[in-house]
Amino acid sequence: MEEMEDKNVLLTGLGKQLVLNSLTDASVQKATEETPDFAILPWVNVVKIGGQSIMDRGRSAVYPLVKEIVDNLPRHKMILGTGAGTRARHIYSLAIDLGLPTGVLTVLGTAVAWQNAQMLHYLLAQYGIPFVEPEGFSTLPHYLLERGAVVCQGMPPYKLWEPNPVAGRIPPQRTDTGCFLIAEVFGARKMIYVKDEDGLYAADPKKHPSSEYIPRISVEELLTRDLEDLIVERAVLEFLARARNIREIQFVNGLKPGQLTAALEGEPVGTVIYRNGDAE
Amino acid sequence: MRESLVDKNVIARTEAPVSSILPDVNVIQIGGHSIMDRGRSALLPLLEEIVANQAKHRMIIGVGAGVRSRHIFSVGLDLGLPTGALAALSAKDSAQNAYMVSCLLAKHGFVYLEAPFVVQLLPAMLAAARGAVFNGIPPYSRWEHQPLKSKLPPHGSDAGSYLVGEVFGARSVIFIKDVDGLYAADPKTDPEAEFIQQARAQEIIDRKLRTLPIEPVVLDLLTRAKLARSIRLINGLRPGNLTRALNGESVGTLIQQ
Repeated sequence: MEEMEDKNVLLTGLGKQLVLNSLTDASVQKATEETPDFAILPWVNVVKIGGQSIMDRGRSAVYPLVKEIVDNLPRHKMILGTGAGTRARHIYSLAIDLGLPTGVLTVLGTAVAWQNAQMLHYLLAQYGIPFVEPEGFSTLPHYLLERGAVVCQGMPPYKLWEPNPVAGRIPPQRTDTGCFLIAEVFGARKMIYVKDEDGLYAADPKKHPSSEYIPRISVEELLTRDLEDLIVERAVLEFLARARNIREIQFVNGLKPGQLTAALEGEPVGTVIYRNGDAE
Repeated sequence: MRESLVDKNVIARTEAPVSSILPDVNVIQIGGHSIMDRGRSALLPLLEEIVANQAKHRMIIGVGAGVRSRHIFSVGLDLGLPTGALAALSAKDSAQNAYMVSCLLAKHGFVYLEAPFVVQLLPAMLAAARGAVFNGIPPYSRWEHQPLKSKLPPHGSDAGSYLVGEVFGARSVIFIKDVDGLYAADPKTDPEAEFIQQARAQEIIDRKLRTLPIEPVVLDLLTRAKLARSIRLINGLRPGNLTRALNGESVGTLIQQ
């Protein structure tokens, strides 16, 4: 390495630090944090369509939502990611019973989110909306500018490389997380989750109808409250707390017409979970 | 079926025994900066040792990225690119290194497998071929996690190689570096640093060492292991170390769950 030092005129100060020091060195890590952030697609909205909450309900839930998406195409560009849902729960239980590891469950669950994305795509195909695999994401800017939206499956493409959860066997990073990471990497305008609840409650409102409704909360407070159940995967909250681009995520009820539109227009509908210090 | 998969009580009920998919396979990780960047003098003796062990031990080899990734990190950060973009770029550097290793081992029957082929074809390839080389960096690409500190992708080739060992339930996971194992400080700058022959992952996390010879995230992954419950770090510049590690001898540093 010594003889490289003189030739390092091609490298910036940070470049020299990165080449010559350990990447786990605290001063190197600090230096990377001080670099500027660039938003790749600052006008795009990532919209996650729930698997169990929306897709599994079929026509009665999906058709009105598709209409609302189409109505918004002239005004808002959208990456539409899908959740998995009931079939994922079935195959997770079967695979756990067969002794298969978390990484295999991720491969299996990804297929379910993919099926939902395909179905959503068929309903939007006549408007020129394509279905894009993770490998095709480099073409997103073109489709978004030409057609206004794309459909993708929400699972992150971790395949067998999904890390184990802290407890149990269910993949900890599923479709909520995959969509969040798309929004973060592109520096998206909004991350909106379309589910079948009005937002976040202190307990699952399907089981506890009188539970407290939370319209707005910081991610730090929500993590501290350590609720038994949540409207979103825990990994999303951890990533939001340390995100550099995304400042808040919003949850709307896709069974109520107009909620997605209101969220796209920037209205405080549903629940907003925000990063502390960034919102009022 | 209507249960929430986020509910802690539902998650707790998914604890059940896991079986090993490929219990006789050894995962060998070849460091990018520590081995590959040194070229012939470091790599060729190591590959000879791998070939010498081929008849006795089944091996799949994950390869790291090294100095080219350090360079593109610096350019990418300067341009303002996010962590996920850096992860996608860096994975090409380790793919290049893995491809070179596979070329050098091709005549001994090793194949190069991209991530989709690891998912679909690894068992078949191992039945037909005599070993496999894969890209050590996991296929997270734009979906790479936000790091706790820095903007650098937390899952490099150490994490990716470990996760392959964990998901297949490998016999062993061995990391080949250019130091004898784990030290309390960087032995390259502090020759007096204490050598740690054996430790638990959580102990190492708790010690908050300034630098580590492996990615810190591997220690977190080890605390959650179901199958690959230990890893071994060895010095690949010393002939015989890999053979000893494959034979289960105490060499380098053993990190246990």
